[in-house]
Amino acid sequence: MSSVIRLIWFDIKEELSPPVWLFMEWIVFGLQLAIYGALISQLVTSIEDYFQFYAVGFIIMMTFEVGSHTGRHFVEHAHEGRLPYLLSLPIPRYRLFLAIALEGGVELGLMLAVPLIVTLSLIGNLTAVSVAASIATLFWLGFGVAGLMLALSFIAFKSSDIYTAITAAVSTLMIRFSTVLYPLIFLPASYASAAFFSPLTYGADLVRLFLGFDPGLLLEPRYAVAVLTALAVATLGLGMLLLQRLVEGVKSA
Amino acid sequence: MYAVETKGLTKRYGKTMALKNLDFTLNQKEVMVLLGPNGSGKTTLLLILATVLKPTSGQARVMGFDVSTQSTRVRQILGIAFQEARGFWRHKPPEILRFHAAICGVPKAKRDSVIEQVLKELELWDARKKLFMHLSGGQAKRMEVAKLLIHRPPLAIFDEPTSQVDLRGKRTIWEHIHKLRDEGSTILVATNEVREAEYLADRITVLDQGQSVVCDTVRHLKDSIAGGDIVEIELDKPVDAQLKEALNQLEGTVKVVTAAENQIRAYVSIAEAWVPKMTSLCYQRNHRVLSVRVTEPSLDDVFLHFTGRVLEAAPVE
Repeated sequence: MSSVIRLIWFDIKEELSPPVWLFMEWIVFGLQLAIYGALISQLVTSIEDYFQFYAVGFIIMMTFEVGSHTGRHFVEHAHEGRLPYLLSLPIPRYRLFLAIALEGGVELGLMLAVPLIVTLSLIGNLTAVSVAASIATLFWLGFGVAGLMLALSFIAFKSSDIYTAITAAVSTLMIRFSTVLYPLIFLPASYASAAFFSPLTYGADLVRLFLGFDPGLLLEPRYAVAVLTALAVATLGLGMLLLQRLVEGVKSA
Repeated sequence: MYAVETKGLTKRYGKTMALKNLDFTLNQKEVMVLLGPNGSGKTTLLLILATVLKPTSGQARVMGFDVSTQSTRVRQILGIAFQEARGFWRHKPPEILRFHAAICGVPKAKRDSVIEQVLKELELWDARKKLFMHLSGGQAKRMEVAKLLIHRPPLAIFDEPTSQVDLRGKRTIWEHIHKLRDEGSTILVATNEVREAEYLADRITVLDQGQSVVCDTVRHLKDSIAGGDIVEIELDKPVDAQLKEALNQLEGTVKVVTAAENQIRAYVSIAEAWVPKMTSLCYQRNHRVLSVRVTEPSLDDVFLHFTGRVLEAAPVE
């Protein structure tokens, strides 16, 4: 087994013992959809099938949560003393960082498995290509968010309190000022301009486009692909660069 | 070729200089102990050698490989038992060791038997079904050592390997470290316990404030202190400056240090000739001698001699 797979497996195994959090995430998704989703879709009449729109939005939020978790996880490892141990193992650095990033992907896959099946079956009438494209978009968004949080994690080496505050603020703003729960065309102008700065806007609209939602409600897909790609490449690259430099020079790590 | 060689190695954390132009060598197949108080730069040096930290300037080589530019090769040669045994909270000891063995290239066919043997030898076998987070401090510390005993790298680095471990456990770990050396590994141990240093070391490097103060064998270090004997004297009342000065003027006195309010420690050339003179001097100055103890220098004394400070009282990082 390669060292990357071994690292991922060792960590995921720990995450899943016990796997209560995973079941809880699925249950929360189910309850949110069954109660809040069902009620709100009765109230929102200007969008056809708002229930499905909401379900996809909730999956985007879960994707964001897993991506954020990957960054936090890294910081926790640093503070728990696991990171120095991992850095001392006879593994090239790029494989270690690859393992950290891929682990985020695996966690994302685990967490989204059931909600995705439920949502896709609710939407129905989908082709294999559209399903694959929407899943790929979710992973691409997840990588971007994970990279962003990894890039921000250098703050935690100075102060974990400031890091917690900043990530909470980023998370709050990115979800609220985005098209996760409401289409861009219904947003007031000031909110809409803020939504353009949230990567979730592009992720949510691209996934919805692949799943057959009304393109009139969504952003131009080329922009979404470009922004998500730029985010993933830039933040992952920046995150790795910062961590490579900071972790190896920060005593508390 | 040295197992480890550093030249002008410097590490700075903001305004703090953890290592200052450190020149250091470690011969192959020897046990070198880095002795120094907290904050002397021991752990920083070990982390740089293990490629966990990067030096600010200077050079460090492990078996000829540069730690900055050939870090993966360096990590294939060495293993480190960290000072703080943390992480992997929800894994059990055999799982952690199996993972470590696999990553470090221990052949699959040997892994389980070696892990069982090491767990038994370090008295961790009974705790094998506990999660790491439920191990005691001493058990967790022994797990750190266990990783190196399974891996058996050419260069084994131990950072305070027996802190939090009871005396029996300490002796077991020390014996294993010597066994590793006898099998051909080079050993680098950082500690601030003189007993551990004395027991383990082929050579000792005294580190203080990020610099190497002296490096030699235990015997040579002790012999290098001018004054062959140490006399510990307990008086009936606090030692005053005049008495201390008078003792310093006595023939055969090398140095007099106040050990406690009414205790002094004198480094003298020949104790048998010095003690009678000291007692009569104390009598003349109205001090009664309650007890006298003659000892040979310890590594504490070596540290005091070379740094001018007491090992335990050095600043905490």
